[in-house]
Amino acid sequence: MERQKQKEERASGLDTPVERRTFLDAVLGFGIVSSAAAILYPVWRFLIPPASGEPATASAVAARLAEVQPNTGILFRFGSTPGLLVRDPNGELRAFSAVCTHLDCTVQYAADTSQIWCACHNGFYDLAGNVVSGPPPRPLEQFAVDVRGEPGEEEVVVSRV
Amino acid sequence: MSVFLDWLRSILLGSAILTAALAAASPAQAQTGGARAPNECATCHGGLSDAAFVAPAVAFRGGDVHQERGFTCADCHGGDPTVANKDQAKAPETGYTGIPRGTDQIAVCARCHSDAAFMRGFAPRQRVDQASEYAVSVHGIRLAEGDLNVATCASCHGAHGIRTASDARSPVFPTNVAATCASCHSSESHMAGYELPDGSPLPTTQRAEHEMSAHYEALTERNDLSAPTCNDCHGNHGAAPPGVRSVANVCGTCHAVFATKFETSVHSFVFEAGCVECHGNHAIVAPPPEMLGTSEDAVCSQCHGGDDDPGFLGARQMRAGRDRLRDEIARTADLIERARVAGMEVGDEVLALGEVRNHLVLARTEMHAFTPETVQPIIDEGLSMLTEIERAGEDALDELRFRRRGLAVSLGAILLFVVALALKIRQIDRRRLGAAD
Amino acid sequence: MMQERVLDWLDERLDLSSLRHFIAEKKVPIHAHEIWYYLGGLTLFLFAIQVASGILLILYYRPSAEEAYESVQFIVSEVQFGWLIRNVHSWSANLLIAVAFAHFFSVFLLKSYRRPRELTWVTGMLLLFLMLGFGFSGYLLPWNELAFFATKVGTGMAGAVPIIGDGLMRVLRGGDDVTGATLSRFYGLHIAILPALTTLLVAGHLLLVQRQGMSVPLEIERRARAGKRIPDMPFFPNYVLRDVLAWYVAIALLAALAAFYPWELGRKADAFAPVPPGIRPEWYFLATFHTLKMLPAYILGIEGEQIGVLGMGAAAAFLVFVPFLDRRVSRGEPSPLFTLIALFGLAYLVVFTIVGHYAE
Repeated sequence: MERQKQKEERASGLDTPVERRTFLDAVLGFGIVSSAAAILYPVWRFLIPPASGEPATASAVAARLAEVQPNTGILFRFGSTPGLLVRDPNGELRAFSAVCTHLDCTVQYAADTSQIWCACHNGFYDLAGNVVSGPPPRPLEQFAVDVRGEPGEEEVVVSRV
Repeated sequence: MSVFLDWLRSILLGSAILTAALAAASPAQAQTGGARAPNECATCHGGLSDAAFVAPAVAFRGGDVHQERGFTCADCHGGDPTVANKDQAKAPETGYTGIPRGTDQIAVCARCHSDAAFMRGFAPRQRVDQASEYAVSVHGIRLAEGDLNVATCASCHGAHGIRTASDARSPVFPTNVAATCASCHSSESHMAGYELPDGSPLPTTQRAEHEMSAHYEALTERNDLSAPTCNDCHGNHGAAPPGVRSVANVCGTCHAVFATKFETSVHSFVFEAGCVECHGNHAIVAPPPEMLGTSEDAVCSQCHGGDDDPGFLGARQMRAGRDRLRDEIARTADLIERARVAGMEVGDEVLALGEVRNHLVLARTEMHAFTPETVQPIIDEGLSMLTEIERAGEDALDELRFRRRGLAVSLGAILLFVVALALKIRQIDRRRLGAAD
Repeated sequence: MMQERVLDWLDERLDLSSLRHFIAEKKVPIHAHEIWYYLGGLTLFLFAIQVASGILLILYYRPSAEEAYESVQFIVSEVQFGWLIRNVHSWSANLLIAVAFAHFFSVFLLKSYRRPRELTWVTGMLLLFLMLGFGFSGYLLPWNELAFFATKVGTGMAGAVPIIGDGLMRVLRGGDDVTGATLSRFYGLHIAILPALTTLLVAGHLLLVQRQGMSVPLEIERRARAGKRIPDMPFFPNYVLRDVLAWYVAIALLAALAAFYPWELGRKADAFAPVPPGIRPEWYFLATFHTLKMLPAYILGIEGEQIGVLGMGAAAAFLVFVPFLDRRVSRGEPSPLFTLIALFGLAYLVVFTIVGHYAE
């Protein structure tokens, strides 16, 4: 490439250095702009808050209020463990860790007895999380429940006590 | 002088009032009377030189549930507790009975403890049928036949330093029960002469076996007081082996789901000893994985063998299914962990893996119905969930590779720029430095 | 033309004429060892990257024992390009310390610390210690297992300092053990105290370098005094463009490292878990750590660790005062003793880092 440039220089006199200068300058200018963009673009995206809001360690949105009927329970994700959101027959909301204290199976809501039931070994908990019957040795961990949002669009937010 | 006398008078009056008040405020020890009943028996015995006479008095006064409620030695032994003279205290007209033996001992305890109206005044929730239970127990029946070797109330509860069953120092507190029963049942000399229904001598290995069990581990290491010890399977006062046919019922009081499944299975008709047939009666350990299957150390191969045996085929199928699910879980968990450690978001997948592990637990429970057709769907559902999780894990790793490729491209651009810059520097050098020189 | 107009506008208000003259006239000597000149600027550039990426991380990081790990996990998995920012910050930290050490050794061996540049050396040494402080405090912030135990071991060694050791350890840890209090403290150190001190020292260091110009090796200085002219290049644009070239190479290296060797997050710290076997600090502390480990339990009746810590303190103090201790070089004479000391120090660090890495 060096010899090529020298040949061109000798061949075209004073004009060619100017042309080459402009070409190199163009490449450099383009390089500066694109590297600035390559740096600023990730920074810009970084600054925009992600959809999930914040690390779900202390609280999580369990469901929309409208989705939870009385005398039903739904499972949701709380951090890296399952949670159970229960709406009792009177309409009150309660939330528990859905990890059974016996052998870590996932519990569910039993609508016929209005209790929380673990299918693995027939453990039953009442709606305060206390063990009613079966092998579980400890009550279910209970969480705090709050409702927030526009009327009609309410969300149920579960957080650690 | 009169001032001094006035002062003296008020001091004396004040002291008298104070003493009277203190006397009146002394806690009434016995509900059967105002002031504490005197117990000269214990006082006298406590001062004797023979240890055998001193020990009961010391134990009684050192913390006994009866003593705390105002009972005296005389309430069980008869005699007059108010006098300190031995002959007077133990005179025949006082009703002194000495040490009760045999069925008399049961009668002494039952006099109060089988009287519902009486016990209501002390512990309304306590049962009052212990004596009648005892009467139908092996111990009670033999005692009635004259065998003084067997356990009576005092053998397990003690006689003088009796504590409630919820007191951790009591010999009948859950963690102490095995040692209490074993004090007779593990002694070869004590149990000599007793036989099982089939004529063989009564074993004395139960405690040693029990200490190898998962129940013992739960009780002593995890402090789970709901774990069974001797009395939970054999009964408290009506102590007897549960009877071979009812074993499944006994185990089923806690292991309900397994018992229900087992009752529906073909083995419930075949096994005389029910759960004990496979799991043992005292040395019940957490079932090892090799227990199910057709290999040599599997419990199934003790009865089943050969390809024409549906039980053999069933055992093989269930074992294969369970092993496959377990291995797939391990493999997928590994994949997810790799993605997680590399910084990818796999929380949902970790959760789903927990669900699949639930399926493994459910499969192990369902196995007790001994019908592979009901176990297989659980395994299959678990496996299909795993395929989904695996896909998500692979996607996460693909995203990682995509990022790297993206960065490789930017790298190329940067390097191109670096080359252009180097050329520019050379150009400027040639111009500026050349001119300067 | 645009930049001319902006400069003229500023000039009217700030009188940049002396500054512009200075930059236009500033020259950088050319000689066989000129390549080492770039290390200082590179260190500064990497530090600037740390500040920028660090500020971005602050927007999402949570400095509490309950949330720190999860917040870093969040940055790396949920935030757009969070993985890039975090990996750049982690890698650039290591690169920064490596380049800072290279800069230190090059100055040490070229004896640029000699009169009149003693203060430049002193501020530089203090800056090196501050960079190590940044590394140590920042390492704990993700609150993962390795960092937790490395901090436990590291602060434990502070306890080996005689007399003030226990007090020093308590102040560092914010208590008797490494807890959330330690995390808060290290966070404050990392984003406020150390940056403030660094700003002051860097300002001083740069001011001195600009006022005194670049130093040249002894032989070249002697040649200049003998009348021979030293070739040089204009600072702007020749030297600056070369500097920028080096910086771009650093960016390329960082991008490659971030993409192909992402920093692991590991497991969340658990104070009650046993210390993982083979725990050790980051590579830039390995030599000192391994030295302390190798010392016998007692030397002449005094605890080996105490001797070790004191020895290191003495070495650090010695290094800070090198320009005042090296009499020969301040007279303009060659100083082989200090060259040997520098080479010995370099060899010691390299060997013990390698040994420490491969030891169990």
